[in-house]
Amino acid sequence: MRTSKRETSAKRRAARRNCLIGLLALLAACSAEQDEQPSGAIVLEVWAHAGQAAERQVLERQAARFSGAQPDIDVRLTFIPERAYNAQVQAAAVAGELPDALEFDGPFLFNYVWQGRLLPLDRLLAADTQQDLLPSIVRQGRYLGRLYGVGTFDSGLGIYARRSALLAADVRIPAGLEDAWESGEFDAVLTSLAAHDSDGMVLDLKLNYTGEWFTYAFSPLLQSAGGDLVDRSTYQSAEGTLNGPRSVTAMSALQDWLSGGYVDPNLDDAAFVSGRVALSWAGHWEYARYAAALGDDLLLLPLPDLGQGSRTGQGSWVWGITKGSERPQAAARWLEFLLQPAEVLAMATANGAVPATQTAVDRSALYGKDGPLRLFTRQLRGGLSVPRPQTPAYPVITSAFQQAFRDIRNGADIQATLDAAVAMIDQDIRDNQGYPPPN
Amino acid sequence: MTSRAAIALVYTGLLLMGLLFISPIAFMLAGSFKPDARVLMEAGEWRAFWPAEMSLQNYRDVFTRVDFARFLWNSLLINGAIVGLGLLVNALAGYAFARLAWRGRDLMLSLVLAVMIIPIEAIAVPLFYLVSLFGWRDTYLVQILPFIANAFSIYLFYTYFIGMPRELEEAARIDGAGVLRTFFSVILPNAKAVFASVAILTFLTQWGAFLWPLMVTSSESVRPLPLAIATFHSLPPLQWGDIFAFGMMMVLPVLLIFLVFQPWFVRGVAATGIKG
Amino acid sequence: MISMPALLGLLAFVVAPFLLAVVLGFSNLRLGSPLPLEWVGFEQYRRIFADPSFTRALFNNLLFALVVVPLQTALALVLALLLNRRLRGIALFRTLFFMPVVFPLSLVAVVWILIFAPGPNGTMNAFLELVSLGAWTPHDFLRDTRLALPAIMLTSLWQGAGFQMVIVLAGLQAIPAELYEAAMIDGAGRWQQFWHVTLPQLRNTMIFVVLVTTILAFRLFDQVQIMTQGGPHDATTTVMFEAVEAAFTRQQVARGAAMSVVLFVVVLLISWLQRRLARQEREVA
Repeated sequence: MRTSKRETSAKRRAARRNCLIGLLALLAACSAEQDEQPSGAIVLEVWAHAGQAAERQVLERQAARFSGAQPDIDVRLTFIPERAYNAQVQAAAVAGELPDALEFDGPFLFNYVWQGRLLPLDRLLAADTQQDLLPSIVRQGRYLGRLYGVGTFDSGLGIYARRSALLAADVRIPAGLEDAWESGEFDAVLTSLAAHDSDGMVLDLKLNYTGEWFTYAFSPLLQSAGGDLVDRSTYQSAEGTLNGPRSVTAMSALQDWLSGGYVDPNLDDAAFVSGRVALSWAGHWEYARYAAALGDDLLLLPLPDLGQGSRTGQGSWVWGITKGSERPQAAARWLEFLLQPAEVLAMATANGAVPATQTAVDRSALYGKDGPLRLFTRQLRGGLSVPRPQTPAYPVITSAFQQAFRDIRNGADIQATLDAAVAMIDQDIRDNQGYPPPN
Repeated sequence: MTSRAAIALVYTGLLLMGLLFISPIAFMLAGSFKPDARVLMEAGEWRAFWPAEMSLQNYRDVFTRVDFARFLWNSLLINGAIVGLGLLVNALAGYAFARLAWRGRDLMLSLVLAVMIIPIEAIAVPLFYLVSLFGWRDTYLVQILPFIANAFSIYLFYTYFIGMPRELEEAARIDGAGVLRTFFSVILPNAKAVFASVAILTFLTQWGAFLWPLMVTSSESVRPLPLAIATFHSLPPLQWGDIFAFGMMMVLPVLLIFLVFQPWFVRGVAATGIKG
Repeated sequence: MISMPALLGLLAFVVAPFLLAVVLGFSNLRLGSPLPLEWVGFEQYRRIFADPSFTRALFNNLLFALVVVPLQTALALVLALLLNRRLRGIALFRTLFFMPVVFPLSLVAVVWILIFAPGPNGTMNAFLELVSLGAWTPHDFLRDTRLALPAIMLTSLWQGAGFQMVIVLAGLQAIPAELYEAAMIDGAGRWQQFWHVTLPQLRNTMIFVVLVTTILAFRLFDQVQIMTQGGPHDATTTVMFEAVEAAFTRQQVARGAAMSVVLFVVVLLISWLQRRLARQEREVA
């Protein structure tokens, strides 16, 4: 087995060379794969969430239109899957690889600002543009007195209903926001509907969704009962709020609907369109599909009122400009472009969302004065929508609430579950020294 | 000894087990040809395993909904690189442990054995932090490099080479061949079975890799197939037919590779240390 | 030295990150936090062991291993024994049993969500009703605290048994025929042959299979993430699921690192225990 020293070292070199060549070839193959440099213009790196196909296509076309109008800027879009989007942003931030402009889910804004990732937009965007934004968009985008994010659309959350089923069950149909079903009444509606239903499952809560949906869709229920996710006066604790009696009431109501067998598990996401249920707790994005399936039989109703009036969710994906960007002006132009009425409407048409500017809303067939979704517009304009907690602790708050929701759905003791969620949130706030504002 | 009754018993056992093993696959295959709404509706009947009307619509949908070719290419590239480079470096290491005398060999060997039980999952968190710091995220490289060197593969090669007769190598040495020449000209042609089985094992474990790519990649341009299926599953509207069609398309290449290499695989497994 | 690339790879991508996990476990590192890093001693460990979700995760992993390892090994042995003869169609069956291994877990998990669909329409519910002649009442497997973990176990069993089977089959085929011939001359029946020739000869193979299956049991993640997300009531949460949730979803990297270290120690302990038991057995035999 023994070889002379010279021989071995020669072989060693050869071995090293072989491996190196292999690796280099690989590296070359990889980098060649990724970079196609267009000429001349400055490149604006932009991240967006990979939503539905129609949304993506619109955004791609918008990027093309923008580059056509602004030949000196070339927008390079990267679509990132929604799942774990925040984690991806965090990882990229640690690596210093954030793009110039990026889209992110609204309530994460406060955490990003606290971490020093975002640039204030007040002075980058034209005053007219800012004035035209829906109040809900501004509320969602402001933190510590500055505007950090702007959405090109907002969201609407309500209960879609099958009119004929409600009539058959002989239940009162609310006319609008002011006379939403009250808590006892909603339970009675479920019971009456169930009596006319073959399997007794009459409500779709989109249990097939994952993640943020649960905070978005069900924290308004807490607020309608007078509870909340966290004490918003200081943002230092959830104690007594998320596990207070009012929040417990709201979650008990929810658990009763679930344990009463009224809720369809909706594994195929077709509970409402296939006629299995009469009510679907869902967002604006379902309108097109539902309208196509039900036609005139489709109704849009506010969420039930658990005492303090009907409340609803708001906020969706928003755009921000990163602090590390070397071309914030160009990024601001991209945002201005997206907020032009025509572009706002183009996106809203594609995803069915509420257009984010007053001008665009008024021009919208769906959300305008007589549009079928005007309820969503009224909720947002009338201040009935509650932004998710405006604190850097939000990622932990939502994670804790989602876990609590899962447990409560599966029949856990409500007080104990909410206590555990509070403990998790408060621990995080303490660990971060109360999230002191950045200097 | 083997009576007719015994054979019948064996066949009955095989058939019964076979049915249980195949039914989820049949369910998926049948579902991939059905209209989306029927998949769940018929899940509780015999029709779950048989599409009443065959339709390729789901397969067409897959191509329109996601860039399947892109994901497939990513998966093939990543796995090809891991398997190819992995075979080279791990076989060389296994050979060095089995045949060459060098300082620290025994220490290193026990280190390799210890490393074998560290699951990638246990180091995923710090490794994720490291690659984030280095800015390696979201590349092919970050999905390939950490998996090339593999303690388990080294161990398999090591046990196989230990069991090989030395005569061939000695003949080569006498002819003046160095370590590497000996390795490539003598060892390699005589160890195809172990190479095949390590290749298949590596490929199978990596083809389904989920956690790591989920953590370190964000753009679709570098994401592999298993993440696409998860995205598909969470991207409304939920269409089971499409998901099944996607799954079939994802498994097909692996199935083909396995069918082709199956004889090699069993032989290779039999010949390596796996059997004890 | 020709072993360098592999050893360097292991050092850089396994040993180094592992050491880093140990170090980070003593800090309060949070991804992206502008606050300065602090060293907190054993605080992360104190917290995770005070967290009922984490202790439940450890318990679930242990339970999973205790059930799946013997079952899967036994199933693999039975399948291999059935296949270890020269009959027509054997190759077909071998391919059939191995086929699930080719299916990535992420895909398997998604398919089995439908199989476990609640209500009488779910495949598993319908199947159980059929074989129990109607005595079975439909359950929502993945949301039932008692059934969720068994459901995940079954999924894993189905996917993994074929792999172990091939290994056992290889072990069976390596047993010299002379041993059986000698046993037959001694007048041993089929059972005696199995107990006195097959099993002792398979010893090393079985040890290997058990070891690998145990390690896999502690890595359990994909199925949980896709099928149940740890629920209901932490009934299916695992150490890896908790670690990823902490480090990745909540950016608590230090906490996740501490959990990884615990996972490693557990796996180390168990494989050491198994080796010891195996050695003792050898000495007795």
